[in-house]
Parts: sequence; structure tokens; C-alpha cells
Amino acid sequence: MSASHDAAVGNSTGTDHGTSVVTLLAPFFPLLSQLQRLAFLLFFVTTLLFFLLRLAGDPALVLAGNDATPEQLAAIRAQYGLDRPLIVQYFSYMGNLLQLDFGKSLASGEPAMGKVLTMLPATLLIAGLAMLTTVCIAFPLGSWLGFKPDRAERRGVAGIIFILQGVPGFVTALIMIQVFAVNLRWLPSLGMSYTEIDTWILPAGSLASFLIPSLTRVVAANVAEAMREDYIRTARASGAPGYVLLFRHALPNALLGAAALIGTQFAFLMGGAVITETIFAWPGIGWLLIESVQTLDFPVVQALAFCIAILVFSVNAVTDLSFRFIDPRLRTRGG
Amino acid sequence: MAQIEPDTPFGKSRLLQRFEKSKLKQNANLEIIIAGTLFFTLAFLAIFGTFLQTSDPMQGDLLARFVPVGEGGYILGSDHLGRDLWSRVLDGLQWSTACALTANCINLTIGTTLGLVAAEKPGWARTIINQVVYTFQSFPPLIVAIIVVVIIGQGFLPLVLTLGFLAWVVFMRVTYAEASSLYQREYVIAARLAGVNRWAIMFGHVLPGIRASLFVVFAFHFAGLLIAESALSFLGIGAPLGVPTWGNMLAESRQYLFKAPWMLMVPAGAIVLAVVTMNLVGDGIAGLARKKGPDINI
Repeated sequence: MSASHDAAVGNSTGTDHGTSVVTLLAPFFPLLSQLQRLAFLLFFVTTLLFFLLRLAGDPALVLAGNDATPEQLAAIRAQYGLDRPLIVQYFSYMGNLLQLDFGKSLASGEPAMGKVLTMLPATLLIAGLAMLTTVCIAFPLGSWLGFKPDRAERRGVAGIIFILQGVPGFVTALIMIQVFAVNLRWLPSLGMSYTEIDTWILPAGSLASFLIPSLTRVVAANVAEAMREDYIRTARASGAPGYVLLFRHALPNALLGAAALIGTQFAFLMGGAVITETIFAWPGIGWLLIESVQTLDFPVVQALAFCIAILVFSVNAVTDLSFRFIDPRLRTRGG
Repeated sequence: MAQIEPDTPFGKSRLLQRFEKSKLKQNANLEIIIAGTLFFTLAFLAIFGTFLQTSDPMQGDLLARFVPVGEGGYILGSDHLGRDLWSRVLDGLQWSTACALTANCINLTIGTTLGLVAAEKPGWARTIINQVVYTFQSFPPLIVAIIVVVIIGQGFLPLVLTLGFLAWVVFMRVTYAEASSLYQREYVIAARLAGVNRWAIMFGHVLPGIRASLFVVFAFHFAGLLIAESALSFLGIGAPLGVPTWGNMLAESRQYLFKAPWMLMVPAGAIVLAVVTMNLVGDGIAGLARKKGPDINI
């Protein structure tokens, strides 16, 4: 938010001149300051990872295997430039990154980024499905709960959701396997195939269960808050029926607030994807992360971190920007 | 010796009288009673659990594998090596509580200090802190934790330090938001004009004003850390193999879902109970403080 304020202050003189290019481009200024933040984020993440991963162990030992002779080790160090001082390695590494060259996987020799990109669609598939499921369940349920929060049956449902919020996603995943795959034998417990929708249901469903309770509660709280506003009382006094109150007056305000959270929820979802993919042996980037971290495959870990940072950033930027266009209040306030 | 007359009209004790006038009585409701009961039960089990164990949690009995819940002296059944699940769950409670509590304290210290410094005045400190917070927020913390824990190794200390130094952002955000408005209040300005040291203002005048919110965040965050810790252990990178933690127990249960579903349900139930308890406590404190609890994501 503070970034958009900076931008607003920065171009307030521009907007005074009426229809200049600056005015037309004004909605994009927050994006520019966000791009600067992305640059900082990528720099921070790659630098931190570079030094952390070098702390972890000698890449040459990983490459050469356990029974390598000192001569072989030296040859490998020279080949990969590992014999140079760390700081020189760092700068040449960052130089390569600027050209989007992430090096080759130590395990398979393929380009690291290529390896990540082949795994990415599988993750995007369940992440997208999970997001869709979450929105389809959390928004209607939350609106229903928040519309008349004091009704006995809704308080009961709210209580159940409060408890569900305390169930970690990976526990839900295990229970779903227990019920649907082991006991009922309706769905496969692991593996994936793009053509068999059966294999998508459990991973996407359990990933959605990471988000549904918290998002439902946020929507319910927002709707309940909107229902207490003066304009709702005025509308009710003027004889508007319940559905008009909800759909026309309360929901637009409440949902925009909740939907603005989607960016943060997505970052959370990527964390959940690591666990879900491990549980279901789903060949996505989360599974690849665990695999390559454990084998100290540095280039792949770096490429993964880079990829995830850009992914989360894009989702944030797109939601932020689209809400700036949808919600007039953000437009006037934020620039 | 003259008998002391009760100074209350109906002979009620002062304590009872004070309770009736207090905020606690006005706000005492079912939620707080449930939260308090669960919390103190779990705290008792975490502290004295060792004395309640029915057998050695590490000692298996191969003649008593997969004993169902409640049979043969196994309160919560036994696992694939014939180890007592009740004793193991108690050990897991101790491990998780110690882990989450230590990490939470580190988080609280870092987050609150940075939040107070950033809230004090605009300047380079605020800019840098906000940039760091933004960076932490836009990268999934669980993924960073996974990478870091694998690199610095398994065990209690690496786990606690990783979570402690990675998950403080929520404390910083709450402190920053609340302290910023407190810095505008007259009593803080008066203290500043009186020449009070800036650190004394920060920790002596502003910090007490945001105590209630920090308690709320502490409780919710505790629940989040419990989940994070069990998730890392479940992935096999948190607690060392063999240590009875809830995450490890869940990981072990996966192969026996058909044969021994209680191996899954016992640790799962323990995690859910602990997390729900801490959420209820957070909600309860928030209700007492008449403030809405922030939504915490780990």
C-alpha cells in the first residue's frame, strides 16, 4: 500500500494538467514501483540462496560422488569455476542470472530453468483448480454466514469453520486419502496424469482445504461489517428486499476487500503446494523443490526460487491492478 | 479480639465482588470457558506429561503391533513397532510446544522491535524495514523454511531458529500499525517534549499500549507455528527421524492407512486440538480486548 502512496505523491502535479499522458498512465505507476520491489526481492532471494547453499556443502563433492579422488575433485572445481574466491563466483553467477542463465542441474545436466518450466504446468493446474474451488465455496458460504451472523444455524456453521481452520492442510490431505482412496476406493491415492481427472481431485481438493476456512471467515466478517453500515439501514428502510441488500449493496464492498487478499493467499498456496505435491507424488515444482534441496542441486533450487518469486509477484500485481480498475475508491486514493 | 465485620452487604468476599465488577465477568462466555479449560489442560499435559506416560515412547513391543485404541492397556493404541501412541503423543506435545513457544518468542522480539523502530518516524530505518517486510511477505515462508532447514540441518535448534528468524513479519505489521497511531497521542508527544530517551518512550510508553494486540497475535501465531513445525517434520526435514513428534507420527502412519487408521487419527487429532485451542485463546483475548483478531497465515 505504501508504494501506491509514494506514486500518488510523485505524480500529483502531473494529474493537475488534465489529460496528459501521465494521467492516462497513472494506474500503472503502482506497477512501476512494484517492479522495483520485485527487482529487490529477486536480488535478495538469489543472493541469500547463493551464500546459504554454499554454506551447505561443497558442490564438487555432490557432483563427483563419494569415491572421487582429489584430482577428480580439483578437475571438477576448475570446470565449474568453484576454485575461484567465493565473491568472484558470486559476481559471475549474478552476471549469468541477469542473462537468465541459471546453469545446469547437477543431478541430470539439463538446463535448470528448463527443468523447472517443464514441472510448472502441473503445479499451476492444481493451484488454479484449488483457487477456483476456494472462491466457489468461500465466497457464497461467507456471504451466507455474514448476511445474518446471529442466526443459530449460521453460528453453528461458523463454529465448524472455526474448527476446520485449525486442521492443517496436510492433515486434511491424509484424511482425504484415508476416506476416499483407502476406505471407499473412489479415487487414486497418488500419481498424476493430465488426461485422468480422477487424479486431480484429491490434490486440488486438499490444496483448497488450506485456504477455504480462512477465506470464508474473512468474507463473512467483511459482509457482516458491511451489513452494519448506514447505507444498508437506509436501503432497508426504503423497503429494499433482502437479496437486493446483499447482492447490490453489501457484497460489492465486502468482496473487493476479501478478494484483495488473493495475492497473499496465493503465496500461502505455493507453500501448501510443496506439501500436497509430496503427499500425492504430484510432479510439480513443489515436489521438485524437496527433491533438489535434498540432493543439494543448487542451480535448480535457485531457478525454483526465482520462478516462485515471479509467480507470486505476478498474481499480486494482477489482482492489485485489476482491483484498481474495478474499485473507484482505490483509484482516487491510490493514484 | 474484635470480630471483623464483613464490609459487604451480603457477606460476599472481596474477591468475588471484584470479579463481579470486573470486565472478566461481563465478558465471560462459553468460548472463553472452553478456551481456558482446553488451554490449561494442554499446558498441564505439556508440563507434566512425562509422569502420565504409560510406557517408554521409544520402546517398541513387536508382540503388540497395531493394537487398536483402548485395547491391551494401550490408551490410544500402538503403532507399527508396537510403541504406545498415548506416550508418543505426549512427547509430541512437549516437542511442539517447546518449538512453537521458543520460535514465537524470537518472532515477538524481532517483529515488535522492528515495528516500533519503523513506527517511530519516517526515515531510512522505516524504508529499509518496510522493504524487508515486503520481501518476506512476497515469498512463501514455508518454502524458505524448507530450504533453510535442509541446509542448516535437522534438530530442535535449527528448526526453532529458522522459524524464529523467518516468521516475525506478522508481529512487525501489527506493531507498526498500532504504534504509528500511538506515536501521535498526546502522552507520547509530552514524553518526547520532556526529553525522555527515545528507547524509553518506545518500550516504556508505546509498547504497553499495544500489549493486548500482541497477546492476540502471539496466540494465533502460536497455532500457525505448531502447523509449520509439524509440516516440516512431516516432510522429514524438521525433527530428526525417530523423535516422536506429531509430524513424524503422521509420516509413519501413511503406510498403514488401511491396517491402522488410528495411527493417522491420533496425531491428527492432537494437532487439530492444539491448533483449535490456541485459535480459541486468541479469539477469546481479542474478544476481551474488544478488538478483532488479525487473520494469520503461516
